[in-house]
This record gives sequence, structure tokens and C-alpha cells, in this order.
Amino acid sequence: MSLLKPFSKLPALNSANILLVESKEQFQQSLADALVQETAFTVNVRLAKSLPLPMENEESRPRIDLVAFIIDLTSELSFQSAEASLKCLDPGYFLGKVCFMVTNARNAAVPVERLDAIRRLAASLHCPLLFAEDQTPDGVGNATERLLTILKVSAGLVPMATALYLSNLTRSTVPPDIDQPSFD
Amino acid sequence: MDDSTKRLLQRLIKRIPAQMLRTTLDKWGRLTGDQQKSMDFTQSKWALTEKMLAVCEENELTIKHLTELEMISIIDNPNKGMWYAFQLMDPQDDANSVELTQFKEQFKSHLRELVIHVSVKIKKDTDDAVWIRIAWGDTFSRPNHLKPTYVVHYLQSPYVFVTSLTSKQKPLLSQALVLSTRYQAIKDANLSGRKLTAIRDLLMRKYQQVFPTKYPSPLPENNQTISNPHIEEEQAEPAANRLQMACEAFGGGTLPQLQSAVYKLETKFRDNSNKTMTEREEPFRCVVKFASTNLLESLRHCASAGIASTPVTPLLSCIPQKGRNYFVITDNGPGPSSQMRQPQN
Repeated sequence: MSLLKPFSKLPALNSANILLVESKEQFQQSLADALVQETAFTVNVRLAKSLPLPMENEESRPRIDLVAFIIDLTSELSFQSAEASLKCLDPGYFLGKVCFMVTNARNAAVPVERLDAIRRLAASLHCPLLFAEDQTPDGVGNATERLLTILKVSAGLVPMATALYLSNLTRSTVPPDIDQPSFD
Repeated sequence: MDDSTKRLLQRLIKRIPAQMLRTTLDKWGRLTGDQQKSMDFTQSKWALTEKMLAVCEENELTIKHLTELEMISIIDNPNKGMWYAFQLMDPQDDANSVELTQFKEQFKSHLRELVIHVSVKIKKDTDDAVWIRIAWGDTFSRPNHLKPTYVVHYLQSPYVFVTSLTSKQKPLLSQALVLSTRYQAIKDANLSGRKLTAIRDLLMRKYQQVFPTKYPSPLPENNQTISNPHIEEEQAEPAANRLQMACEAFGGGTLPQLQSAVYKLETKFRDNSNKTMTEREEPFRCVVKFASTNLLESLRHCASAGIASTPVTPLLSCIPQKGRNYFVITDNGPGPSSQMRQPQN
């Protein structure tokens, strides 16, 4: 099984590469369009539905600095697909080069267990968990900014900061009362 | 004007949508110019009905004239009520040369032989469809114009679409159709839906077909505009393959709007974790119904998004391939083995 490895290729000058993995293939399009607008450095975006990535692109693919999993909270399939894709990542990525982005968290029809499960997953992998709103351009803009902040550090473009250092500050934690029943 | 004529007129005015009322009355052509000018179509339907009753009294219109209006309104707006498709089988040698006047005479005479009191009206539409309106009566009573049956037949094709037919009337209609179209039998095509246009397009394949091809996309041209060189899709090829297979199974472009598909399963229960159910000898009877505003579009999207596995299973792709939406699935052989549906009512 081909794992995606974080350090097996050389980096390029003043550029950062991000891989957006989303089962639904919707939000990643608008995110990608907003991400490439960044002018301070070159952002290359790769889009995928799930991992593992096809072998044919192995040569042309640059070094991926950040893998962002986009999970739609209203779809169980989305969560399961993201979980299955995690197995195809080299463990080196979990030192600050993976983050989770969740959409539709405000939807009342979402079962609470799913969000708890995602929280536990992100906490066990020491990854940041971001919440995004994908329907409005403002929401897309906010999500882009937050991703760019983490991306800049992962790509090594911020002096005196590394991905592992940042992940210590941003990683998701499970609230101590997660097993208590919520007020419904 | 007698009671049933009044009731028919009321029903008609209620049924015709307000924006189409003016054009339909124009097409009918039974109102004089003055009467037409005096109709105020912004009034409520109730007020319009009263006005129309008065106009019909004035022009001494009978129920026969009203049936013309009903037919025009249904031809313009056929997507109401349940339509059932039938297929004619075993053509005789001259089945392909049946033309309109011959069909009309034969159908009327055969039907009148079978049912003494019957009122038949036949009209040919612009797209080669023959519309038949049948008001049934029996030996003792006059034809009932409030419960007509509408039949649509495309000459030189074996397809017939019927709405509002009771089980008693079915053998009479079948006999008349078979004799007048020079075929030997008629069977249920197992296709039904609310929209006549949709089931007709599905059965007669009037939507864009996509055929398997080795090179699906045209050759790239030299000055091809790339969307953005910094954005790259990793799995573009599998996605394109899925889309191609989904379109091959269901069709490209806009698909006919089918609302439901019903699968009646008579297969043995198969689940390794449940021994008691698997051991039973009798088949496990179960009915699975898929319903949607546009069923074929949603199935095609399921296949292209990877939710349904590709190549598309024959259980789903046989809906457009065979043009049916009712299946009985038994254990004999691979794929759905279709059987004739016995009429339930």
C-alpha cells in the first residue's frame, strides 16, 4: 500500500502545497479558488476524493506540506471516508501536517455522536479541528485564512516556527464532559 | 344544461391552470369574439365558472362540445394523473402500414361492437400521437363523461399509454386496440408515472444516449485554456470514468422525470449472521421502492459520485434499458428476471 510520505521530496522555493481531501468534492473547489489568490507565496492545491492517491501522479506530485480533511457533519459517509483515508498517510504527517475541517456543524439534524467521534479522532491524532461555513463567500474566506496560517508554518515559510511546534498549540482536545448527555 | 354537463364544466375550469385558461379557450374556438373579450381571467375560478355556465347556455353548447375542451386541456397539460404504459406484441404483416383514418374507423367500430353505449373521440396531435378519449356506458346507461379514459398511441410504434382505466374496461380496450392496430396481443409494459412526457421519452428513448467509447473526450486543442495551473485534481481520471459509466447506464443531458421504481423481491434471505432467517425455505418477500422528484437523475448522480459502485449494477441500469419501473426479482439466474405483472385491481 503506498503511503503518502511528508519528506521524501525536495521543497520548492517560496511555495506551499496543500492537499484537500473531501468525499463530497464540493467545498474543496471554492476553497481551492480562494487559496490560490494568496500573493505572498505560491500556493499549489491538490484535490482528492479520498486516499490513497493514484500512482500515476506520483512523479509529478510535489511535496505535500499540509493534508486537510474536509468532513461534512451531515453525512456519515463523509466521516467514514475520511477515517479510511487516514490509514494511507505516513505517520510523519501527524506531527502537525494534518488538519481536520468540519462543515455544517450548525445543522440541527446532525447527531451529537458524530461530532464527538470527530473530536475524539482529532484529539487522538494531535491535529487541529477547524469549523467552517461553506455556503457564503465570507465563510470560505475565513476558512481560507485559517488554513493558510497553518499552511505557512507547515511549509516552513514562518521563521522560528515548525509544524510540530504549532501543533502543540493548535491541537484539538476532548472536553472532559464529552461523555455526559447534552441538553436536548 | 343538465346536471352532468354543469359538473363537467365546473371540473374543467377547476382543472385547467389559470394561466393557460385563455389559450385553451381560444383553441377551443366555441366562444364568440365578444364573449371572449368579456371574460375577465383575473377573477377567481368560481366567478369564471359562473361566467362560463352563462356563456355555454347562451351558445347552447352540449356535453359533446365540453369534451372537446377537456381533450384540448389534457393534451396541453398531460402530466397529471397516473399513466400506464402498454406494449403491443406480435405484429401482423400490415401492422406497419396502419395509417390514421384506417385506425380511427377500425378502433371506433371494434369498440362499438363490444360496448354498445360508448363515446369515442380521436384526435391527432402535432407530434404524431393519436389521442383517444373514451366515455364508457353499458347496455342500460349512457356514457359517463365524468370518468373518461384517455389513450395515447403513436402509430407505427407498439406503445400505448393509458390513464383512468378500470379492470372491467381493460379487456374491452385491449381487444379494440389489438384489432385496430393489426397486432396480436397487448401486454403491460410495467412502466407507470405521473408525467406522460417522462414515460414516453423513457420508453421511446427520446433522451440523449451515451455510447461506450474508447476515447471519451475529444482531442485536446493547442490553445486549450487551463482553469488554474496551481489547482490540480489527483483523481480526475477515475472521476471521469465514473461519470462516463454513469452516463452510459442512464443517459446524458436531461433525463425523463421518473418518480418511482418498485422492486418486488421474492428471493431467499441471505445473511450469514442470521441463521434462523437464512434457514427458512420460503422466499423472503419484500418490496423496495425508490422515490424521487427525478429518479434517473439521482441514480446517475449516485453512480458518478461513487456512492453506487460502477459499472452500474444491472438492477438499476435496467430501468432505462428496458424502460420499466416495476420489477419482480426471483432467484432464478443472474440479474432481474422479470415476470408479467398480474393486474391487482
